Amino acid sequence: MGQGGAPRRVQAHDGELGAAVARAQNGDEAAFSVAYRIVQPGLLGYLRGLVGEDAEDVASDAWLEIARDLGRFKGDGAGFRGWTATIARHRALDHLRRQRVRPRSSALEQDVLDLPGPHSTHDQALEAISTEHALRLVGGLPQDQAEAVLLRVVVGLDGPAAARVLGKRPGAVRTAVYRGLKRLAAQLGAEGVTDEAPRTLGESK
Amino acid sequence: MGEQQSDGGVPGRRRVHPGGSAYGDRAAHRADGGPSGHLGAHGLDGPGRVGSRHVLDDAELELLLTAALIRDGIDAEAEQRAVAAFRAARDAGPHRARTRRRDDWRPRERRHPGRSLKATLSVLLASLTLGGVAVAAIGSVGSTDGADDRGRTPASTRAPGASAGEPGDTPSGSASAHPDRPAPAQDTEARCRAYEQVDGRGRAMDATAWKRLVEAAGGERNVTAYCAEQLARSEEKPGGTARPDKGADAPGSGGAANGSGNGDTGTGNAENGSGNADTGSGTDRSGGGGAAESGSSSGTSSGASGSSGSSGGQDRLAQPDGRRR
Repeated sequence: MGQGGAPRRVQAHDGELGAAVARAQNGDEAAFSVAYRIVQPGLLGYLRGLVGEDAEDVASDAWLEIARDLGRFKGDGAGFRGWTATIARHRALDHLRRQRVRPRSSALEQDVLDLPGPHSTHDQALEAISTEHALRLVGGLPQDQAEAVLLRVVVGLDGPAAARVLGKRPGAVRTAVYRGLKRLAAQLGAEGVTDEAPRTLGESK
Repeated sequence: MGEQQSDGGVPGRRRVHPGGSAYGDRAAHRADGGPSGHLGAHGLDGPGRVGSRHVLDDAELELLLTAALIRDGIDAEAEQRAVAAFRAARDAGPHRARTRRRDDWRPRERRHPGRSLKATLSVLLASLTLGGVAVAAIGSVGSTDGADDRGRTPASTRAPGASAGEPGDTPSGSASAHPDRPAPAQDTEARCRAYEQVDGRGRAMDATAWKRLVEAAGGERNVTAYCAEQLARSEEKPGGTARPDKGADAPGSGGAANGSGNGDTGTGNAENGSGNADTGSGTDRSGGGGAAESGSSSGTSSGASGSSGSSGGQDRLAQPDGRRR
């Protein structure tokens, strides 16, 4: 992370994703499905951080636009992540603008009813905090830090791509990611001291 | 489980695997057995570690966040909606639409700013370096030249043959009245010899050097005689012995030469070119030559360098001699 590369989980798929996108641009429907399945989890995670429970709806909107504009896109797998993240972000900001009655953070503070989904055994060991808890933590960050962390960690963009999505300089995004992660780590560490029941995450503060 | 993880082993391992190797690190944790995998927010700070607050490193945090926010399951319905939208867009018309700038995520463009900054800096550095070298080289060449100029000004402003022909003569010559004579004399000799070989063939006589020779001789018809005289004199001449005489002639003959139009056209330039060398007799000549010739057409020898200019000076001085003989 600190080295500026995208998480390995994501990089492993980029070649496959790039090929799928190229075929989809030539009209291959199955390839579009492949690209969707590769991109959607990270995109949804990012949108959860932005709009909370409305993430699925916003993602749907974003995919409509992605499908419509796919012919315009130029780039490889990593570029496709950045492109789709940009579209999703715009949709999310539109969404937040529409419901501006509530401040943005409220979407994160209210109870997110997502329960931990079916995890693979690989993830099982890491299942230490719930989606809700993670969202609350991320939502507690300043927005620039939260978004930067989500783009880097969850979507899997590299530094320059995340900066382009956010419309900021790479240096600013790097700093935001650094501070955001430091802050999250400190919060998680602090909670570790006070929380008595580790596994009942929904109740932990 | 808190007890299991508070044994200090995990933080130690974290020091061993800092930062980027987090995934391998994680794998090691998992290999330790089930409970130790629950690092999260809680497990590591067991009762025995309350004082030292555990701070997660970035990699652990990444894994926690991805695990919490990313679910592998794909909503089939949502996927079908997206695919349907794709199909509709594809069937609606040409799937190739104009790529806007924000749709272009090709790697080169994305990384262009950083790369161009690097390239710009390196180019700047290279140009500064080369420029510095060039300036230094100019400085060194200039300084040596300057030193040489002081030592043997006439040699550097005259034809190359001069210094070779009379190396010992030039320094003293610069102090004498007519330091520029030897070189033009040899110039003229060379031209004369060449003239003998080329005479009448081709357009060689149109060249500037020939024109100058013709001018010096006072006309094309006189060239042969002029050359004969020059060559004869060069054979009899031991260095600069004849020069004092000619020097004495020069001022007077300058006036005579002024009247002969063509022959003098190059002279003004010549004296300008070898200005340094003429310091001794400069007053004389500038009176006779400079004033009279500045107005006349100097077009033929306008491109004359210092050496050819000084040869012109010689020509002019030599010409009266040739005429009088």
